[in-house]
Amino acid sequence: MHLILGHSSDSFCGAVLSRLTAFGLTAGIVDAIFAPATRIDLRIGPDGKTVRPRAAITLRNINPSDVESLFLRASGAIDPAGWNPNDHAYVQAETQAALLAWLTALDCPVVNRIGADLWYRPRNPLLYWLPLLRRAGLTVPEIVVTSDPEAAERFRRNLEADEVPGAVCSSLVRSQGWLVGPAEWAGVAALQNYAPVCLVEPHHTPRTVCIVGCKVIWDGAPTPLEATLDGPLRRFAEMAGLDLVEVTLGRVRRGWAVADVDPLPQLLHFAKRTQSQIVDAVTDLLQDTPSRTVDLAEVP
Amino acid sequence: MILVAGGIADTVTELLCSRIEDCGYPYRLLDLGHYPAGHGMDVTWTDGRLTGHIRGPDWQLELEAISGAFVRFLGAEGRTPLAGLSAAQANELQLGADTALMLLLDNLECPVVNRMGGGMSNNSKPHQLLLIARAGLIVPPTLVTNDPAAVRAFDAEHDGLIYKSISGIRSVVRRFGQAQMERLDLLRHGPAQFQAFVPGNNVRVHTVGDQLFATRVRTEAVDYRYARRDGLLLEMEPTDLPPSVAAACQRVARDLGLLHAGIDLKETPNGEWYCFEVNPCPGFVYYERHTGQPISLALAELLHSGRMDVHTPRDASERPGQGPARAASAPA
Repeated sequence: MHLILGHSSDSFCGAVLSRLTAFGLTAGIVDAIFAPATRIDLRIGPDGKTVRPRAAITLRNINPSDVESLFLRASGAIDPAGWNPNDHAYVQAETQAALLAWLTALDCPVVNRIGADLWYRPRNPLLYWLPLLRRAGLTVPEIVVTSDPEAAERFRRNLEADEVPGAVCSSLVRSQGWLVGPAEWAGVAALQNYAPVCLVEPHHTPRTVCIVGCKVIWDGAPTPLEATLDGPLRRFAEMAGLDLVEVTLGRVRRGWAVADVDPLPQLLHFAKRTQSQIVDAVTDLLQDTPSRTVDLAEVP
Repeated sequence: MILVAGGIADTVTELLCSRIEDCGYPYRLLDLGHYPAGHGMDVTWTDGRLTGHIRGPDWQLELEAISGAFVRFLGAEGRTPLAGLSAAQANELQLGADTALMLLLDNLECPVVNRMGGGMSNNSKPHQLLLIARAGLIVPPTLVTNDPAAVRAFDAEHDGLIYKSISGIRSVVRRFGQAQMERLDLLRHGPAQFQAFVPGNNVRVHTVGDQLFATRVRTEAVDYRYARRDGLLLEMEPTDLPPSVAAACQRVARDLGLLHAGIDLKETPNGEWYCFEVNPCPGFVYYERHTGQPISLALAELLHSGRMDVHTPRDASERPGQGPARAASAPA
């Protein structure tokens, strides 16, 4: 069975489910991962030299040995109804920790097979990705993190000198940004009284691209200049350990720059035809079965 | 110049600062008890390159001048909330400021103890156990379950069990006995982690770059951190590790992206070495004070040296447990 951990309201989950079933494959979406019937039984060991993780989370009568692939779109929030807040937070942390271990132990294709870092913080600001983007040969817009109003003003003046209107004030906590126009700079300075703000050079009309495995799927045919970014984008996804990642690019003063990275792509950001290409590529990855068995005994 | 970000009242931060002073190395303390109030930063990324400074109440430090950075975040109880704001606004801004600091440290081209991503594996102990095993250390037989029947079966297979939390939430390790067996049906509400009890001596290994400090702990307590509270004796002494275990400890710290880690081992009477956990933010003061092992000195020297030849993985291709779906079967 091809398992999709996510919500049925997520169009990506629905599209992958439809495609897999169209191929005559057995597939299903599990949204309430830790609904009461869920049974977790993850065994590690017993001999550390020959650790063979036998992972089993019985999800709604799905036999764990029948899981052929896993498409991961959610980390399993528990319904807080009936819990007091402290107990809910504890059980949530415990079950998510168990689920991460189960995913790590799965010996079938997992998209995306992420580590603890992204499991616990799936959406990160652009600065998080910056070292990898740079090593992959990709650039980012100019970014300033400052608690100094004069530095913010300097950044503004530099942009205006190049006829760039405003700046983007980017939250480091949420996936949100606000375009700062002439009337908003006083608000930015007020924020700086308390904490540094992140200001990003605005970009022109964005171009979205989805990297799926080795495929770089542009939303519409890339120009020859855009196509030169295929290699660096592929390299970035590989270094980030992501089989599926959405990258937003935009033209800034120095040329193309990465404006956003999202390891949980949204199909709705792409045209219908591109959506179809992305879903095809994801289902190809999920069906890739050769030599999947983890034999940790052979690991030096 | 060394940057230390921590709390003045935190014993680890206090000891490290004292040691840096003893060595005569210049450093700045970013007091996380008050940060971001009274502190500031002005940092620019142009063409991916980082320039700028960070400042405290009476100092300013250029980023290029930082030879090494140490960070030890505090819990909410150790922080002074931002004044003049609602609790929600203060939390949001403090979180944003903390994230700015973490991202800044992540982007520094010098030793950072520890970068943000390195510590996250500790939030799922069984996930971390799998990575530990891949690094070549033996891990105890482990069961993570919400199924009482699975626990009974696991208990029958082993000569005693212990139980503890699965996540990074701190818990006291306890023996699983008759009292717990009688409450086992409550497990259906949420899973717990059970492990075969491993007899022997605890050995805590602190890694600092490529140096190891192993401390043997002798006690009757199941969780030696609480031995004295439980009225039990506790003795500590420096010890040596077999070369293969030492190499595996270095490998696991490296794989997890940690320049400094506390690795919990146990040596059985048969001479087997089991690994239970890797702590990415170890409170080493306890061990240093009992044994005189120069852990803080090693840290001070690492941070002063600016040595970047102590390798930690910089991307997923070098990090086990993460990576492309089809690469899952490849040896890490």
